[in-house]
Amino acid sequence: MSKDGSAMIFPSLMSEAIKWARKNSLWPMPYGTSCCGIELMSTLSSTYDLSRFGAEVVRFSPRQADMLIVAGTITTKMAPVLRSIYDQILEPKWVIAMGACSSSGGIFDTYSVLQGIDEIIPVDVYVPGCPPIPEGLIHSILHLQKVIDKSLERRPAVRPSPEDALNAMTYSQCTHAALVKSAYIVTKDGVAQNVSEDDSKKP
Amino acid sequence: MGNAIAKNAEFVQRQVLATARIQEKYCEGRELTVDAVAEPILWARSVTDAFELVQRLRADDVLKLDYLTDITAYDNVDGKDGPKRFVVIYQIFSTTTHVRLRIKLGVDLQEEPMSWTSLWDGANWLEREVFDMFGIKFKGHPNLRRILMDERFTGHPLRKEYPLKQREQFPDNVPLHLGAHPVPSNT
Amino acid sequence: MGKDDINHLEISAEKKNLSDFYNPNVLINIGPAHPAMHGTLRVMCRLNGETIEDAACEIGYLHRAIEKLGEDKTYHQWIVYTDRLNYCSALNNNIAYCMTVENLMGISVTERCMWVRMMLMELSRIIDHIICVAINALDMGAMTVFWLMYHWREEAYTMIESLCGMRLTTTATRVGGMAYDLPDDFIPRMKKFVKEFPSCLTEVHGLLTGNRIWIDRTKGVGKLSREEALKFSITGPCLRASGVDLDLRRDRPYYAYNEVKFDVAIGTHGDVFDRYLVRMEEMRQSVRIIEQCIDRLPGGSIWVDDPRVRIPDKIDVYTKMEVLIHHFKIFMEGINVPPGEVYNAVEGPNGELGFYIVSRGGPKAWRMRVKSPSFMLFQSFEHSVVGDKIPDAIAALGSINIIAGELDR
Repeated sequence: MSKDGSAMIFPSLMSEAIKWARKNSLWPMPYGTSCCGIELMSTLSSTYDLSRFGAEVVRFSPRQADMLIVAGTITTKMAPVLRSIYDQILEPKWVIAMGACSSSGGIFDTYSVLQGIDEIIPVDVYVPGCPPIPEGLIHSILHLQKVIDKSLERRPAVRPSPEDALNAMTYSQCTHAALVKSAYIVTKDGVAQNVSEDDSKKP
Repeated sequence: MGNAIAKNAEFVQRQVLATARIQEKYCEGRELTVDAVAEPILWARSVTDAFELVQRLRADDVLKLDYLTDITAYDNVDGKDGPKRFVVIYQIFSTTTHVRLRIKLGVDLQEEPMSWTSLWDGANWLEREVFDMFGIKFKGHPNLRRILMDERFTGHPLRKEYPLKQREQFPDNVPLHLGAHPVPSNT
Repeated sequence: MGKDDINHLEISAEKKNLSDFYNPNVLINIGPAHPAMHGTLRVMCRLNGETIEDAACEIGYLHRAIEKLGEDKTYHQWIVYTDRLNYCSALNNNIAYCMTVENLMGISVTERCMWVRMMLMELSRIIDHIICVAINALDMGAMTVFWLMYHWREEAYTMIESLCGMRLTTTATRVGGMAYDLPDDFIPRMKKFVKEFPSCLTEVHGLLTGNRIWIDRTKGVGKLSREEALKFSITGPCLRASGVDLDLRRDRPYYAYNEVKFDVAIGTHGDVFDRYLVRMEEMRQSVRIIEQCIDRLPGGSIWVDDPRVRIPDKIDVYTKMEVLIHHFKIFMEGINVPPGEVYNAVEGPNGELGFYIVSRGGPKAWRMRVKSPSFMLFQSFEHSVVGDKIPDAIAALGSINIIAGELDR
């Protein structure tokens, strides 16, 4: 670049250029299920304009997005849907778990709510709040940009292995009545075994 | 009763008259009580009695109870509301006189009350929800299957013995969604 | 699938049978994750060409066991869950729930609390209708309306935030009073809001009501006749748009609704256009009610003087021993509600929101039931879209304002 900044060419590393392009054009796929979805809409609207950060295009097709913002509670009925949407997004992809419910189940520690979406998909940024205010979501996107800046390869997330994800569904922790054991355990090749007679293979 | 009911509200008088009419005409062998805000509760005698009772109430020209507000149930496992296991509650309302009536019905584990879908279409999903949450089946319901929980779920969550945090896993989630495409390692 | 499998498919008999391709019945799944931003609903439509012949709705994708949690948490702890029911108008749910518990205990709230609650209920009605109209317009492509109306929602959020610290999920009421009294700048801000908000309504009317495209897309779409509306037990603006004159604020008034003057908007055809007009008019009437509430707002305490429920002021909790113990008992043990049951319904923005509480005495409820308006509305949706096309189904879905939190609880 010349001294007055007028030249249009400046040298850089290829990796830096790729990182710059990726972090400044994060196209979100909003996956708004409940209250956090309303705050997500507020963030996308004109007061807290999210498009300033490259998220102009909100793509509802997972194939065209590269960031998945999971805003809201994910129940066990919805979990396979979320997983299949996540699988359809092409690499490189990032996941923001917006709100307390998607980070850890939030205030809903019940029989039908996943205690955090990291039971089934790997998460890059968690945003606390119930719901997080729009500034919080913007902060998380800026944080994600820093995460992208760190390395070209995706950072090694503690990804749930397939069995971990499946066995997360058998979590049972009750305080009132007798514990009812799950009748199935899933082995490494995805086969479900009925172990109701076999007490030695409890999860 | 509190000031949640407006001062000098007209419907209070109509509600009192309606309760009096229910007392004189529909109380044969059925118990009529009031709740904390003096709204009437009519206990039906048996599963067949409730359906017949509501048909007569609908046809009553003075009461004009023509609108179904809610169908729900609660678990009477401690026996304080009669000898039966569950109590099914029907809330009906009149769109012209604005009076409310609650009909309660004791239902045991294997008993099946008559479905109200022939009277009101709105009862369809309400009864499905009662079935889903409590396991109470309704005779004559066109589509009695689970509504809020997954179809393969095998418990009835709102029963008192169902633990709050117990989940169930469905083996056929396995090949379809989770684990079929393992999460790729670092690119 | 190897090469052999592909060859096998090509020569298999099913491929040659082309009459399968002429079957006009296509099953479309408007799945739980869909662009219409209404939350987790699933509608499966059987199409004949582009016309919907049959629709089946599936819910339960946001079932969070709020009713079961009602049996596990104390009455105060459950106020938090009521916000998450109809999260677009959280204040309304809080107030309806606390009203129910107060009914069960036989408590009358103070005059000031009553008028403040009425004002907040009308404000939450305005913001819920803003969301409904804005999202309905957004689904049909009218994005400008979304940006315009959302600005007013942000103004309302600022006011609510100054009241209780949260924008969306407020938990601003307590049994017997409110968590916080109105701050000093609330009434001036509210006066400014009621003066300036009707200009937004005029603007949106100018953009949509006479707009040829809007009229073509919404008139005659998603019709629900008067009889069908009553049979499906729907309530709220959709019922009024179908021609039924029922509004709980006027017919079974609670608090001081029989002392404020307001009109009830009734539609004729029960289609999306009528629902839109009913909502716009209801927003105007809510502004009218808020103006009257501001004028009649009395002074005094916002807490009822009942030691069973009165949460003491913090300054007393920090300095006096008995007050500290009282505070401790209310929060650690819970308030002691006598045995009994009650059903209380308010006219929420979406319809009749009712809470049915069965209590066997003690700090926790035996059964907490939420009668949600969206549940019945979505049931009627299956029938109102038969005969329309797919884009019409999306328009109708937006107009009935399904809030998934309330639908599935």
